[in-house]
Amino acid sequence: MIALRDERGLATVETTLMVVILVPLLFGVIEFGWLFQRWLAAETVAAHAARFAGEIGGDDGSLRAYIARELTGVGIDPARVEIEVTPQRVGWREPVRVSVRSQERIDLPFALSTSVTLSASAVARGEINR
Amino acid sequence: MSGQQGSAAITVIVLMPLLIGILAGVIELGALRVLAARVSAAADLATLAAADDQDADALLTTGKIRLPANAVPVARQFFAANLEQVAPHLVRTPDAAAAEADVAAFPDVPAIDPLTGWRYDHPTVRIAASVPVRTPLFGAVLLPSVVTINVRAASAAR
Repeated sequence: MIALRDERGLATVETTLMVVILVPLLFGVIEFGWLFQRWLAAETVAAHAARFAGEIGGDDGSLRAYIARELTGVGIDPARVEIEVTPQRVGWREPVRVSVRSQERIDLPFALSTSVTLSASAVARGEINR
Repeated sequence: MSGQQGSAAITVIVLMPLLIGILAGVIELGALRVLAARVSAAADLATLAAADDQDADALLTTGKIRLPANAVPVARQFFAANLEQVAPHLVRTPDAAAAEADVAAFPDVPAIDPLTGWRYDHPTVRIAASVPVRTPLFGAVLLPSVVTINVRAASAAR
């Protein structure tokens, strides 16, 4: 009977170790996978947005609407995204930079829960000869 | 039964470096994939910026679209500007990486690119670059701590 109780205790210890160590590792792979997927998507949106900004001559409502639509399409909530266009009004042949920054959460059970800033930016060339 | 006591702990301790190594490798692979996409996008945007312009005098006198004389330096400038965001991950500075890139303009068409073998039917700017990036988590699990990303991009003026 003593031996059986010991065995049950050992199983509990093993299960606890498995859960506490392997679950965070598993969630780490999943969470970072999602994070990199969103980062890649944000990079693509920034590149397209920079070209669009160059074509329309800088920052305006249509650019913001375009970025919001593209972000929504790749599963990023536009409400949590900070967009910066530098300069606001770009001349012919001048560089225009579009930056997209979003706060993303990483939750690893039993390990850590934090937020990271995903930052993507791209530089294109102004195409409007004013 | 006493022989099995502690075996779980030993197994976990033995496997822990392997598990952490796998996680580190997965994270670094993901980061490398993002960096490769960033470098590729930088080359695309650079060639587009260079090819979006044209020689205004040639357009007026001949009616044909030709690349401006500064197409190559413009491509380098925009390649460096687009690498700026990932500068901490690069072995060299963005300016150095752009300076070392093989940038070529093909104003006279049709042309065959001697490097890539690509055929161009419109005036084209092409970048071929090898950009070394740091992969410290790979280094921690005895894999190369520097990986070179090779990109090729071309854009045509139309």
